[in-house]
Amino acid sequence: MSASSKLIERGERSERVERILTVENLKTYFRTPEGLVKAVDEVSFHLDRGEVLALVGESGCGKSVTALSILGLVKSPPALVEGSIEFRGTQLIGLGPKEYREIRGRQISMIFQEPMSAFDPLYTVGYQLMEVARAHMPWDDAEAKARIIDTLRAIHIPDPEKRYSEYPHEMSGGMLQRIMIAMALITSPEIIIADEPTTALDVTIQAQVLNLMQELQRDYHGSMIFITHDLGTVAEVADRVHVMYAGKIVEKAPVVELFEDPLHPYTLGLLTSRVKREYKGESLPFIEGNVPRADELPEGCRFHPRCPRAMDKCRTLEPPEFSPRPNRGVACWLWEEGDGR
Amino acid sequence: MKILAVRNLKKYFPIRSGVFLQVTGWVRALQAVDLDIEQGVTVGIVGESGCGKSTLGRTIVKIYEPTAGSITYHDPDGHVHDITRGLPRKVRATFRRDVQMVFQNPYDSLDPRMTIRDIIREPIDTHRLFADSKVADEYVGGLLTKVGLYPEYARRYPHEFSGGQRQRIAIARAISVKPRLLICDEPTSALDVSVQSQIINLLKDLQRETNMSLIFISHNLDVVYHMSDRIIVMYLGHVLESAPSHALFDRPAHPYTQALMAAVPSWNPRYRKLGEVKLEGEPPSPINPPPGCPFHPRCPHRLDVCDRVMPEAVEVAPAHLCACHLVADDTARKAKA
Repeated sequence: MSASSKLIERGERSERVERILTVENLKTYFRTPEGLVKAVDEVSFHLDRGEVLALVGESGCGKSVTALSILGLVKSPPALVEGSIEFRGTQLIGLGPKEYREIRGRQISMIFQEPMSAFDPLYTVGYQLMEVARAHMPWDDAEAKARIIDTLRAIHIPDPEKRYSEYPHEMSGGMLQRIMIAMALITSPEIIIADEPTTALDVTIQAQVLNLMQELQRDYHGSMIFITHDLGTVAEVADRVHVMYAGKIVEKAPVVELFEDPLHPYTLGLLTSRVKREYKGESLPFIEGNVPRADELPEGCRFHPRCPRAMDKCRTLEPPEFSPRPNRGVACWLWEEGDGR
Repeated sequence: MKILAVRNLKKYFPIRSGVFLQVTGWVRALQAVDLDIEQGVTVGIVGESGCGKSTLGRTIVKIYEPTAGSITYHDPDGHVHDITRGLPRKVRATFRRDVQMVFQNPYDSLDPRMTIRDIIREPIDTHRLFADSKVADEYVGGLLTKVGLYPEYARRYPHEFSGGQRQRIAIARAISVKPRLLICDEPTSALDVSVQSQIINLLKDLQRETNMSLIFISHNLDVVYHMSDRIIVMYLGHVLESAPSHALFDRPAHPYTQALMAAVPSWNPRYRKLGEVKLEGEPPSPINPPPGCPFHPRCPHRLDVCDRVMPEAVEVAPAHLCACHLVADDTARKAKA
């Protein structure tokens, strides 16, 4: 990819940022027998070229549904997908299936969580990689195979020719996850969405895969949306972080600021939920209560029943996003006057 | 007081194939594991998937029959029983009541068609704790309160609860018969981070109250450290290192333990450390383990002997055992000097 994108260094913006994805007021609602489930509710964010944006949150916060909505994988109807998702000037919401296929898998690709279930056990991994190349790239089969093997080599898969003709069951989870990364890379996409790419892996393998993803990030200068529940891995890979809770983004921050100066009580709760060595022999700090079910969301701020600093206002009125510092956003009434400490 | 002593425990699973399902190989899940459980003490077992930590837990509760080795059970009256082969009838009821288990996934471990009352009543009724059903129901209500739920929840079904609440129910069921040993196999891995700490605190509180022993199996080093008095590090069915928790964390002796600790993310974006992790490769298959030390193909400090001889565990400090040729050499040199 072009050298100009090298301008963007971690943490600080250069003047020539190139915005490639803008999501505004995205709503993804599902109709269920229990009622309307607001999985993603008025979420807005953007992604610049060459950066890693982490979407962090616990189960049911809407982080995966956000990804699926961007990729047009939420079927609407029956689901309700509203708002605006603009990718390089193209509006993705309402885009026809044929046009979407030009973008999905080619310009925006996805790495899924469970490598063992994301591959078809009946075909060799080479065949499955070839399918991607055939669908999106103008290469003939010989060229495609050569390029696939090059990609496998680039991500340090030993003996790529042999691996090409193996079946998924012949490989370990870590190896398959690397193959899936290769699959996402074949088309040189502009955006890679990685949904919990290391959650199913062991720590030593997780370290290898995260290192690989960072290396590729540096070499290819693509952008990445990194979805995870694990703040530890966020600290290792992200440039900016958006924290989600119950379908809303509650905090937006550059990664260093998020860890050193969290603004939202939920972010603070997540950071203090880390099991630190100092706590040995004591009770661990924790967030009271449980994540609300998507069909029983509380009134007002969705975090208020668990929030140690909830005020009367929080119980009735949903907080908008305040920006008490440059490059920061926080949806919490504490910051309405500019200082919530 | 001792509850369990495990010596040289081995568990091999046969691999059968062909029309006649002949045994064509073995999955060597456990190779020569020693373990002692004292009353009130928590032993943590840590290792990556396939290291045999769950097999160890399940062999100890007698879900699996060991292939070789011995398991000795000390009952509450101080009698000693050899329970390596099966469970002799005279200890069966005592042992089954005395040793309980909490499983990883509370979505699978609770029967969706039973009410919470029936789920918790099941072990109570099996062991005939109460003659009067009303008293038993009151006891169930008390247990629910103890694990941080409401007695009214007894009438509900598992699907009405979140993951953390279900794990509380599973814990209530396990402690209902007042076991002296509770085996927790990844009890917080399926839970959200904000809920994980609640469950850990609950287990610690219950242990303080009842003085039961815990075997805490997890892949999460920080959680194991918090829970345990003593930690065992496993790799491919072998115990590579075992030490008091603080000693293991302050002075990890085995190269694998060191690598495992280095691979834990820093939580500090100013100091990203995973780039420095130099551990290559993946754990080998337990069907065809490498000769010598199981860790040698990935070990950055490999010696010539490592691919030939499995190192014996040596005591590098009091109660701190490590099975590594490099460490053994160092220790021997120090002892001479």
